[in-house]
Formats: sequence, structure tokens, C-alpha cells
Amino acid sequence: MAEIKQKRKTRLRKPVNWFPLLMLITAFQVFCALQILLNSSEEIVPATIFIVFGSYVLIEWVYFIVFAGFLRRKSFEVELIAFFLTGIGLALTTSVYPDKAYTQLIAIILGLVVFNAVLWVLSDIDRVVKLRIPVAVLSLGALLFTLVFAKEINGARNWIVLGNGLLSIQTSELVKVAFVFVGAATLENLQSTKQLTKYIIFSVTIIGMLFVMKDFGTALIFFFTFVMIAFLRSGDIKTIFLISAGALMGGIGVLTFKPYVARRFETYRHVWEFADDKGYQQVRLLIYSVSGGLFGLGLGNGKLRYVYAATEDLAFGMVCEEFGMITAFAVLLTFVALVVYSIRYSVAARSSFYSIAACAASVLLLSQASLHVFGVTDLLPWTGVTLPFISRGGSSMMCCWGLVALIKAIDVKTYKRYDKIIRG
Amino acid sequence: MKTLSRRAWVLYLLVLAFLAGVGILFYTFFTNADAWAMKRTNRHIYNKGNLSTAGSIYDESGAVLAETVDGSRSYNSSKDVRTATLHIVGDSQGYIATGIQTAYNDILTGYNIVDGVYDLKKYGKGSDIKLTVNADLCVTGYKALGKNKGTIGVYNYKTGAIVCVVSKPAYDIQNKPSESINNDKTGAYDGVYLNRFFSGVYTPGSTFKIITSASAIDNLPDIGTRSFNCTGEHKVGGDSIKCLSVHGNINFEQALNRSCNSAFAEIAIDLGKEKLTATTDALGFGKRFKVGKVSLAKSSFNISEASTVDVGWAGVGQHTTRVNPCHMMMIVGAIANGGSSPEPYFIKSVTSPTGNVSQTKGGNMLEPMFSQMTANRLDKMLRSNVKNYYGDGKFSGLEMCGKTGTAEVSSNEGGLSPHAWFVGYSQREDFPYAIVVVVENGGSGGSVALPVANKVMQKAESIFGG
Repeated sequence: MAEIKQKRKTRLRKPVNWFPLLMLITAFQVFCALQILLNSSEEIVPATIFIVFGSYVLIEWVYFIVFAGFLRRKSFEVELIAFFLTGIGLALTTSVYPDKAYTQLIAIILGLVVFNAVLWVLSDIDRVVKLRIPVAVLSLGALLFTLVFAKEINGARNWIVLGNGLLSIQTSELVKVAFVFVGAATLENLQSTKQLTKYIIFSVTIIGMLFVMKDFGTALIFFFTFVMIAFLRSGDIKTIFLISAGALMGGIGVLTFKPYVARRFETYRHVWEFADDKGYQQVRLLIYSVSGGLFGLGLGNGKLRYVYAATEDLAFGMVCEEFGMITAFAVLLTFVALVVYSIRYSVAARSSFYSIAACAASVLLLSQASLHVFGVTDLLPWTGVTLPFISRGGSSMMCCWGLVALIKAIDVKTYKRYDKIIRG
Repeated sequence: MKTLSRRAWVLYLLVLAFLAGVGILFYTFFTNADAWAMKRTNRHIYNKGNLSTAGSIYDESGAVLAETVDGSRSYNSSKDVRTATLHIVGDSQGYIATGIQTAYNDILTGYNIVDGVYDLKKYGKGSDIKLTVNADLCVTGYKALGKNKGTIGVYNYKTGAIVCVVSKPAYDIQNKPSESINNDKTGAYDGVYLNRFFSGVYTPGSTFKIITSASAIDNLPDIGTRSFNCTGEHKVGGDSIKCLSVHGNINFEQALNRSCNSAFAEIAIDLGKEKLTATTDALGFGKRFKVGKVSLAKSSFNISEASTVDVGWAGVGQHTTRVNPCHMMMIVGAIANGGSSPEPYFIKSVTSPTGNVSQTKGGNMLEPMFSQMTANRLDKMLRSNVKNYYGDGKFSGLEMCGKTGTAEVSSNEGGLSPHAWFVGYSQREDFPYAIVVVVENGGSGGSVALPVANKVMQKAESIFGG
């Protein structure tokens, strides 16, 4: 009996063989680099492409060699997905803004630093519990600071600009990781209503501040995540309905009493009527997405890239036009894969902290992807949130890799050697 | 943790919702792809709203009507050809909705959802389109209309191939007089973006007597032996339907020959609303025909509220009746072809950028408009019109059948001149072509539209006749 059980467990957690997949991903990225080179406009220096893609591929392989080879980690599904998506984003950035390719590369490296840092923090549950209050306070402080000193970019006051525009940070991105961390950690220790109340106050404050910053998309993402954490912890569907109903009424109230909020969404389901003003970007996105067909026009051959903020706000459309709808579909499925991964692994997680953290982080990514993809395509109101990993941007890159670490941590094997588990 | 994994159904629910959203997303992409890709702001295809990269359009003989040279559209070298084929070729800005360059831009650009605009990028164009239309014939028609506005269409009633489409006014697409068109106060450019042949409707006048005749043949068994006494009008109560002359005692065939309003008003009133409407319904009035991707304007016949005298007027093609010229051509085509005729078409072949040629097999047969017997009877009467009344000399060597029409468009004396109509076809086995001519405010059908029809048919015969 015990043996059968053991076997089943082993099979359940049999990791995918990372080597051929990484080869495929590398081939894909080399292919991207070649396309950029071939279709490049005059301003791209070939050296830039070689250095940027060379470094990126190198980073991937070093990561896998170190962690698979020396540290004997066995399961790499989450990293493979993250590297695949990040590679697409890097290709788009390099192709559209060659001068910003290095910045994006540095952002990716920082992302990996964050990833490993978060993984390290999560390795010790006592450390997690100890850190939760400081992280919560830091998050609130950062958002408050942003609220006071932020610069308004594209209608949302959520940018901290340092050194005359040399560095701009979107604090709400960094807070995403903290939000999931604090949420999961609070519940680990909790079991007192006081703790829960504190967490609710923390969440409401953060969502409220985002609202004041007019960053409705991020506010909504935090709300989803909050609801998810609350449900996973309590299992109480009635409470969830209550929270949602309350939020809905609050939302309606805001739309009624703050007409400028409603005006931001007046083009919803009517983008074609605003094709030359407020719906400009979305209309171009739809036109060029279908122009790409199933297989795409190839990197550098698109036209959406000339539209304002194409690599950030319209990243999904760029994937459709230049990589094709099949790749775009695959990209969407990877977000599903992250959620399914979290669910499957939560059975064997070391504690509920890891389960909740992974589920909340993957739901956060999924809801952000939904708001981005369905928003730009006018199926949902457009809030201007970015597509995780793919949209250009340093803060969001760090946030995404931080969230990946939260998902990754659910797998026990991340911290123990696989063969040890087998042995006993 | 076990408790948590039991709560995981919520996450599966979220995943399902997401996948449903993805499904809806790609469904909207697939269903709207053609319309979205062809939007004028798509810079893969248009340059500042002008069609720039697209396949060529050739006429039936292979002459270039439109092509892309160095990323912009250029047209036939002859101004006459450019003007006469404007409406069938269409403009590059999409004002002429039924033109090939607009209605068939997906083919010209080679766009499809699978490859997107990839072919367009690779080959610099999509598919080439060869028309069944002959450009020289269009020039002949355009010139024959003279100073008047109007439309001409010619097609092969056995295959459905349209060989001539002319709509006037038109302009030279290479030197578009935008200023004159936009500030037009004289009416010289009225409806210039409309292809009158496909999208226009006119009062049919006496050409409608063909239809009243058809109804009479089907519904009045004694029609062949009846005689009518025309006194210059047909009295109905205190009102009357005026005839253009006093025809005296005439039979049914003579009534059609001479286009006697008195006789046809009497026939129409005799037939009554129901039977007349049944006939027009069978002919496709109120129905939207399609010629390829182009929808024709609907012909309309509505006498449900009409007084008796108005039924009489409707029987001679006045009242509120409106007919689309292409539809009228199809009606006589059906008579010529024994009661039913193929759907008209104007695309001869499409050649993909890789050289694959797909030929149009010919129009599908439409539902019969007339019984064979009725068609034969009408055929004889229409032949009799030309042979015994207009004179075969007017259509030398063509064995024409047909009917003229003079459609009153103004109720007051000294108002607008009537529209002149001719609709008919050649009976010759080696030249199975039907024609419709409408000369707007041209005057009498017999003296204005008929000579135009002759010029065009003679030219057509020299090109297509055996």
C-alpha cells in the first residue's frame, strides 16, 4: 500500500525534462534575434542584438546549469514559462526601441535578483513571519510616498521619477509582491480575528490609495487577489459574495459621484466610434492584430509598433501582429498553466502559507493578463495595465519575477534535493 | 494542504472564465477579421486612406484597369477608359462602395485570417482580378450617353457574364476633380459615387408593361383574343390614365408594340392587385439580389393601398414602382433564356500572387422568373416590338427583342424630362446578350435610349458576336 502511494506521489510530481524545452526556447529566441537583425531598420546596431540576446540566453543557461546541475533542483516549469514570456518581451523591446534594449536586459537581471531574494526569504517560514509587518509597513509607506510625490503619466499618478527621468519606478508594481507576501504570511500565523482585521485594513488602504492615484486597473488586480486570499483562507463563499457586492456598490458609487472616472471608460464597447481620438490605440490594436494572421508577420514587420505605448499598453496586439495568433494563444495559456501548477502543487505544500502565496500570485498574474488582453481588445473596460513579463518596464519585470518566486516556493523540491524525497 | 486544495475549485472556475474569455476574444477576431483588416487606417494596405498595395484589375481582354506601381495605385493609360470603368473598378478611398477596389479589397490585398497580410508584405500585392467586363465597350456606352446621366449594362444571358457596366456621371480617377465634386451646385456630380447600374432605382415607365404582360398571359386566358379600344385615355370613375396617342382598336400584341397606356391600364385593373403583386413577387421585387459580393438595390412594387386608377398607372410602370436597372436586365435575360437565367457575375478569374488561377464557373441558375410558355410568348411579343414597330433597321443584324420606356418623373407640365429606357436582347444563338439602358431625363425611350442601346450592342457584337 505504502509503496503504491509512494509511486503515485512520485508520478504526480514527476517534473518535465527541462533540457529539450530550454533548447526550444533558446532556438525561439535565436530566431527572434535573427528576425530583428534581418528586418531591422537602420538605427539598430547588430552588436546590440548580439549582446542583449547573447546575455539573455547565457543567463538562462547559467540559471539552469547552476540550479539543475549543482543544486540538483528538478522541476523548472515555472521558470521555463517565465523565461519564455520574458524573452518575447525582450524581443519586442529590442526590436521597437533598440536604445532601450540594455535597460530591459538590466530589468530582467534585477528581476532574477528579486526572484532569488524572494525564494531565499521564503525558505524559512520564521523569517517570513518576522518580515511580514516590516514589509506591510514599507508597502504602505511606498504607496503613500508615491501618492504625495508622484508624477502623473498617462492619467495615473503612480510614477516616482528620479534623477531627471533617468529612473522611473512604479511602486504599485513592487507592492504587488508584498501584497501577496503579507496576505499569505498573516494567515500563516493568524488564527486570530485581530490578524485578519489587520490584513483587511491593510488591503483596503492599499486599494484605496491606488484608487486615489487613478490606477484603477492595479486596484482591481489587488482586489481580485485580496478576494482570492480571503476565500482560500476562510473557504467562506458567502463572505466573498458580500465583499464583491460591497465592492460593486462602491464602484457604482464612485462612477456616479466621480463622473471623471466614468469618462475614462466612455469608449468601452464603442472604440470604433472613437477611432481617431480616445479609441485610437485600441482600434489600431484590433486592426493590426488580425493583420498578423495565425503565424504573424515577423518581428519588425508590424505597424502597431508605431502606435503610442505599443510595447507597454498594447503588448498583446504586438504579439498577435508580429508573432501571430497561435503564439498569442500560447502566451495566454501559460498564465493558465501557472494557476493550474499552483493548484496541483498546493496538495503537497509544506504549509498553507506556500499554497496561498502561490495561488494568490498566479491568480494575480492571470487577472492582470485578463485585464490587459480583454481590456485592449474592448471586451472589458480598458484600464491600461501591462501584460506580465512581456510589456516593457523595469518595475513590472521585477514584480513578475517576484511573483514567480512565490509560485515556485510552493514546490518542496525547490528547497530539498529531489533524491532525498525519493529516499524517504 | 488538503483544505486548501478542496477550495481550489474557485481557481478552476477562474481558469474556466479566463478560457471562456479567450474563446470569445478569438471568436471576435475571427468573425471580424475581414472587416477590421480592411479598415482605412490599416497602413499595411492603405496609405493615408488610399488603397496602395493591392493586386491588379484587368478587363476581359487583359487591359490593365488598376495596378500598384511603386507603392501607389495607377490606372489605365486612357482617360476615357479610366472614366468609363470608374464605377466597376472603384476608387481607392472607398467612396464607391460597390467598386472592385472596395468590395473585393480582401482579394486584391490577399488578406485572410490565416496568413494575415503576410502575402501582401511578401509579394507587394494580393491576388489579381480579371473582369468579364470589356473596357472598350464601357467607353462606347459612356460616350453614347452623351450629356445625360444614366446607366448601361450588358450581359450574356446564357452564362451571366456582365460585359458592360457604365454609370454616369463619373470622373477620371487619376485626376479626381475633388473641388468640383465637393462644391457641386449645378448637380453635375449628383450621385457620382453611386454605381447606378447596381445601386440605382428608377421609375420603369413602359418597360414595366413587359411585367404586366407576363401577369396577363399567366392569369387572363382570353388575353390573346381580346381587343382594346384606345381613345387616348382609360377612364376610371372621374379619373383617367392618359395615353400618348389614340390607338383605336388594337389587340394585345399591338398594345405592347405601341405601348398603349389605355390597354395596359385596363389589363392591370382587370388583373387586380393580388395577381399583379404575385407576378412582381415572382420576379424578385422587394428581394435583394446579389451580383458577386455586390448587393443590388431592391426593386419595389407596392399597390396594396393604391386606388383603382393608381393600379392602372402602376400597370404602365408609373405610380410608386421603382426598378433597379440590373434587375430589369435580369428579367429580360430570363425571358430570352426560356424563363430563368443565371446569376450575373463580373469576375472572370482570380490569380493568386503565387500564380494559382481560379476561374469563375459562371453564375448559378436563379429561380425561374417565368414559366417556359410565358417566356416564349413574351419573347415573341418583344421580337414583334422591334420587328413590326421600332424596325429591325434600328438594330441592324442583331435580331433584337426589346421594349422602350419613357418614365415620367415630374407630375407638373414643363418639369423634368422623363427617363428614357430601353431593355432588350439579341435572339442570335451566337450572340446571347441582353442590355438595359437608362438615360436620366433624356426624353423618349424610342428616340433617345434605343439608339444608345444600338450603339452599344453593335460594339458588343463586334467583340463577342460569333
